[in-house]
Formats: sequence, structure tokens, C-alpha cells
Amino acid sequence: MISYDSACVPVRADLVAAHRKEWARLARPGTWWTGTERLAIAREVREAARCEICRVRKASLSPYSVPGEHSGNGVLPATAVEVVHRVTTDPGRLKREWFDEIMGWGLSEGQYVEAIGVLVTVFSIDSFCRGMGVPPHSFPAPEPGAPSRYRPAAARMEKAWVPMLPNGRFAGPERDLWGDMPAGQTGNVIRALSLVPDEVRGLKELGAAHYLPLVEMMNLKDSPRSLDRMQIELVAGRVSALRGCFY
Amino acid sequence: MLLRASSEVRGEEVDLRVLTEPELAAASGVAHAGALIALADAMVGEDDEALAQARQRVIAELGPGGLVDAVAVASHFERMVRIADATGIPLDDPVEIMTSDVRHSLGIDRFTAAANTPPGGFLRRAFTPILRILLGLALRFIGARGIGRR
Repeated sequence: MISYDSACVPVRADLVAAHRKEWARLARPGTWWTGTERLAIAREVREAARCEICRVRKASLSPYSVPGEHSGNGVLPATAVEVVHRVTTDPGRLKREWFDEIMGWGLSEGQYVEAIGVLVTVFSIDSFCRGMGVPPHSFPAPEPGAPSRYRPAAARMEKAWVPMLPNGRFAGPERDLWGDMPAGQTGNVIRALSLVPDEVRGLKELGAAHYLPLVEMMNLKDSPRSLDRMQIELVAGRVSALRGCFY
Repeated sequence: MLLRASSEVRGEEVDLRVLTEPELAAASGVAHAGALIALADAMVGEDDEALAQARQRVIAELGPGGLVDAVAVASHFERMVRIADATGIPLDDPVEIMTSDVRHSLGIDRFTAAANTPPGGFLRRAFTPILRILLGLALRFIGARGIGRR
């Protein structure tokens, strides 16, 4: 079970609880991947840091000019390995052409979105561990079962690369995603994974502990944390700038 | 956008250039900016010794809770940047309008993912300065009252 008892300072209980919940979810059958496949995606996130082709591409003027194959754990199709390694190691230089090529290799939109959801969960919790000076957590054992293959009926293409649920309040099973926001409006970055609603739920769960609950986002005056809001946004903005993130 | 808005709600001035020019931290208007930026830089980087030093500096200046919060926010945005970049989402319209001035001055318009937010048409560009003022006022009004909170 996840613990931060060895950290140099006490870690908030809500962070520990959120990490435990999301870590356990990694091992369960998802929407488009089995528990075994979700854990394989999780392991590829760590493998990417050791991947020679990722290192060379990251150092190159253009990552698209370096051919080669990633080191991988052999469980996932090569397309999924490419997605996990590229998004993990060099997210700031992803292009629409790269995405279209990936889709052309046979990965479904749902598989892609869920893979990103698993990837960012692992990356952010591993990053938290490194920041706190504790070793990364061991992965749980996979749970048996088939993916649900659930696709929300209201998902549609807008201006992003993947279909998303529109803003607004829903009456159906997705009403919990951002129905509690004023006028049912939320940002594109929250909607981005909504083709796989459980990944948005995971994002909200972790985001509430790491950053702020969605409903607190526009409260710019007060901070429920040790840092004031300007300090929180400074860290957020600096990480985004270093990663070359336009959004 | 939220750094600028949160400073305005608090009646303080922040130098946004600190986001891309960390040497401006001391005069940025954000308390302990130097320690927080050093931590963010070390978390994105790969130098474990630099990270250990940054961690100790944050504890010394902001306390144990400050370290946990700063690490949590940095790791959260390692997540958010990947979601945004991997899904090709454009900027939300209000954000696009409100940040149009600083995106250019900070060099953010040169990032690869800028291609996911096509420039607006003539009318949109013509009215952007006015819309930016109006949206800024609205954001400060909402942000100062915490509208949407439960």
C-alpha cells in the first residue's frame, strides 16, 4: 500500500488517499485496456526514462528525424509504446501529423485517450515521489476482467485531436464530470480525456489533492493550501513553460 | 493567466517574465519565488542533487507544508501539460483572448502546440483588446468572490 512515512516531511492525508485510490485503479480493467495492459502502460512510463531512442530524439533538433524502435516490455503493441514514450519524454513537440500517423497504425481513439490517462497518472505520482525524495511505488498486481468498451454517446469532435464531451450539464452517467461547475462549464484540458469518463474522474480526484478542487479554481483570493494562490500559479506556470506547453 | 489574475485580485503586481526568466524571481512580486522556481526547475530536470538542495530551501523558507504543496502542484502540472499536448486541445476562447498580450512577450507563441490554436479572424483580432479588458474585469470579479465554490 502506498505510504509516505519515509518522506522528509509529513504528507497531507488527502494526497495519500488520492494516490492510493488512483494507484489501485491502474490495476483494474479499464474502458479500452485490461488491467494487465494498463499496468504495462504504467511500466512503459518508467521504461521511457531509460529508452535510448527517446534520449536521442529528445536531444535532436526534430524528434521526427530520428528513426528507431523504443525499448519496451513486450506486452503492448508498438504503437502504444510509441505513444507512451513520446508523451512521457517529449510532450512539448507533439504535432497533429504524429497523432494522425499513430491513429493510422490501428490504435483506437478510446485506447489512445485511456493510455494518456494512465500515463499521466503514473507520471504525476512518480514525479511527486521524486520531489519528496521517496522511491517510486511498486505497481499492484493486475485484476482480471475485460474492458467495458463504454463510449459516451455525447462525445464529438471539436477542435482537439480526439473527441470530447461538450460543455454543459448532462442528465446521464457523465453528469458528475463537470455538472457541479457554474453553468456546467469547464476548461478544454478537463474535457480532453472525456472520451473515457473514468480518466476525467481520476484527473479530478488527483487534481483536487495536488492542486485545487475544480469548484475552487476560480477562487483567486483564498488558498486552502500552505502556499498562497500566486505561489501555486507560479509553480504551475513555471513547469508549463519549462515543458513548452502552450495551453 | 491565473498568476496574473490572482495577483490582481490581491491588489499586487507580478512580473510575469519570471515564468521564462527565473533570474527575475527576487523582484517578481511573488513571495519566495526563487525557492519555488528552483524547486520547479529541479523537478522538471534530472539532477537529484539540485532537487535535494531545492527541497531544503523550500522547507527553510516555506515550511514542510510549503514543500508538500509545491511538489504536489509541480507534479500535477507535469500531468496537465501532457494531457494538453497529447490531445491537441486549443486554448479556451476566454483564455486565448486574455493571454494574447503575454503569449507573445513571453515567447509562448513559439511553442509547437501553438498550432492547435489558430489565430482568430479579423473581427476577433480587432476586438481582442476590448474583450481582454472586459474579460479581465469579469475574472477579477469572479475570482475575488470565489463564484462557483460550494
